[in-house]
Amino acid sequence: MMVIRPINSGDFDSLCHLAKNTGFGVTTLPDNPELLQEKIDKAEVAFAKKVAPEHAKYLFVLEDTDAKKVVGVCGIEARVGLQEVWYNYRISTTVNASTELGVHKQTPTLYLTNDLTNCSEVCSLFLDADYRKNNNGLLLSKSRFLFFADFPEMFSEKVFAEMRGYSDEQGHSPFWESLGKKFFTMEFSRADYLTGVGSKAFIAELMPKYPIYLPFLSEEAQQVVGQVHENTVPARAMLEAEGFNFNGFVDIFDGGPAIEAFVNNIRAVRESFKRHALVVKNPKEPAFDNKSWYLVSNRSFSNFRVALVPGSSIRQDTIDISAELAEQLQICSGDVVRAVSLREEKR
Amino acid sequence: MLIVRPSTFSDLASIEKLANHNSAKISTLPQQRDKLSEKIDASIRSFAGDESLAGKEQFLMVLEDSESGAVLGTAGIDRCAGNGQPFYNYRQDELIHSSHQLHVNNHIPVLYMTHELTGKTLFCSLTIDSAYRDTEYFELLSRSRLLLIGLFRERFNDEIIIEIQGVSEEDGACPFWDSLGRHFFDMDFATADHYSGIKSKTFIAELMPSHPIYVPLLSEAAQAVVGKPDPLAEPNCQLLHREGFRVGKHVDIFDGGPTLEARVGDLNTVKSLQSKRVKVSETTRGGVKYLICNGSFSDFRCVIGQLTDGIGDVIRISQTLAKDLNVSENDSIAYAAL
Repeated sequence: MMVIRPINSGDFDSLCHLAKNTGFGVTTLPDNPELLQEKIDKAEVAFAKKVAPEHAKYLFVLEDTDAKKVVGVCGIEARVGLQEVWYNYRISTTVNASTELGVHKQTPTLYLTNDLTNCSEVCSLFLDADYRKNNNGLLLSKSRFLFFADFPEMFSEKVFAEMRGYSDEQGHSPFWESLGKKFFTMEFSRADYLTGVGSKAFIAELMPKYPIYLPFLSEEAQQVVGQVHENTVPARAMLEAEGFNFNGFVDIFDGGPAIEAFVNNIRAVRESFKRHALVVKNPKEPAFDNKSWYLVSNRSFSNFRVALVPGSSIRQDTIDISAELAEQLQICSGDVVRAVSLREEKR
Repeated sequence: MLIVRPSTFSDLASIEKLANHNSAKISTLPQQRDKLSEKIDASIRSFAGDESLAGKEQFLMVLEDSESGAVLGTAGIDRCAGNGQPFYNYRQDELIHSSHQLHVNNHIPVLYMTHELTGKTLFCSLTIDSAYRDTEYFELLSRSRLLLIGLFRERFNDEIIIEIQGVSEEDGACPFWDSLGRHFFDMDFATADHYSGIKSKTFIAELMPSHPIYVPLLSEAAQAVVGKPDPLAEPNCQLLHREGFRVGKHVDIFDGGPTLEARVGDLNTVKSLQSKRVKVSETTRGGVKYLICNGSFSDFRCVIGQLTDGIGDVIRISQTLAKDLNVSENDSIAYAAL
């Protein structure tokens, strides 16, 4: 059974193992044991509410309870940019025009901003390659929206996700080559790593502060602004289906998009509902080709758990929960759970 | 005899020919007849001291062969750069992007658009028939302006600037423009330059992007020519350098060419300028070549001639020279070593 739960100190080895396999581009999960330990510590403090809500950094893991193995991780930063400085470029438009000369030229221009300061971020998503099937990716990513739905007061009204920008197979980012690299001699992978270990603000402070007219960058760099890495295309599509929008914010290093949504506009938040759990001994097995799955959360803050149930479990007033699942969700009959269909239901 | 004198309307056709045929492009010399005509008109009124032009005086002088009447070159002075409008340049500056934590300390050259040179006296519109480019008459034409300013300092700003033509390639392409201005205009340098001449440079400059430009983001060809004069302008640059002009921090917003700057009192010609009363003699012998001008503002004339300088405040000149300078006995002339 696949279950989402808060990370704890027992997950250290699993997390290190996962971080080793992320490759470049997942900057929030660096391959650095000391830092990973720190991330676990911070998450434990956050779930225990021993830190101010705005400084909380939550990490959840996806556990295969049969194999007793942690196979995925995802995170939420309650609010970014309050302790360090959060930078993005915003793509704006500059118009040069003269009717006399017949000139009307629109020039995309990158402005360095701190506009996403104080917003919540969904981040650190990584799933073991062997488990990229059976809706595990969706479970991992969307479980966080149920957390937002139950505890909106702990977060900003707006949430965003920074998507990994384009880089080629060797890890070269055309955006970095054409912009960041000119301002300090450093390979993208190095800058990427430094970002992950918490030096992003340092690097950002070395970046150009004045607006950058896009035509000054190479053709290749211009083309990848706001584009995601090909491995990230499905993740972007998934978030956009949930109501996230690209509003012109891009990463200052690789030009990848930051996509945003208001929490109460996210489909999985908006459509989620509360219902009583009914623990049943022999739940109906889902049909072989069942495509209707529901996320079910136990609505606990400090011990937040989410799993999938087939659509056939959703009844008028209750949700059928197998005994095994009830144990994993740590609920019993009569407890109120929150559920939402895993995908947007076609109407 | 070649004479530098204020331009008149009768020079119009000749100047137009110069402007259109000269290989070294002069953007402050418009290539349209009515614009040229306006410029000559402004010059005539400026030399006449028309007070309605105060602060916008534009002087245009020509190099004329007094025997054939041919106009061989032009040299201009704008009393106030910008002529009442902002005068734009890029200022070359440097930002240090530094981090102790990351052991990074990078010097990043940046171009800031400024109009801080507005109002300084600007030397402009220098062009000469290519047959005379490597002769002493080029020096006569260029330096005649220093004699005029040296004699009439109160009519000009104390600081003088000169924009030197930036590097362009044989086909007329300009690497600086192609990497910068072109992105915002969709027109080649020649076209932009043409508009700059017939509208105003300010007009074009105000269509340029106003944010600072990071030099490392320009093409390598453009980076290489920031602040560099075109090879054609080298001789003039050297002449001005000897004169006491220094390369400043400003470059042209179109072609990246350098701006030379000087204070009037620091210029060799101005410092060494001597004024004496004239004694016209029928015969003068030998002497040394000087740049010589009369003491008139509205009928300024400057030539190369031979003088024997001596003690006392009177100097002998030949009748031809007196005629060329339009001076008679007891008028004053001024002269500086060639």
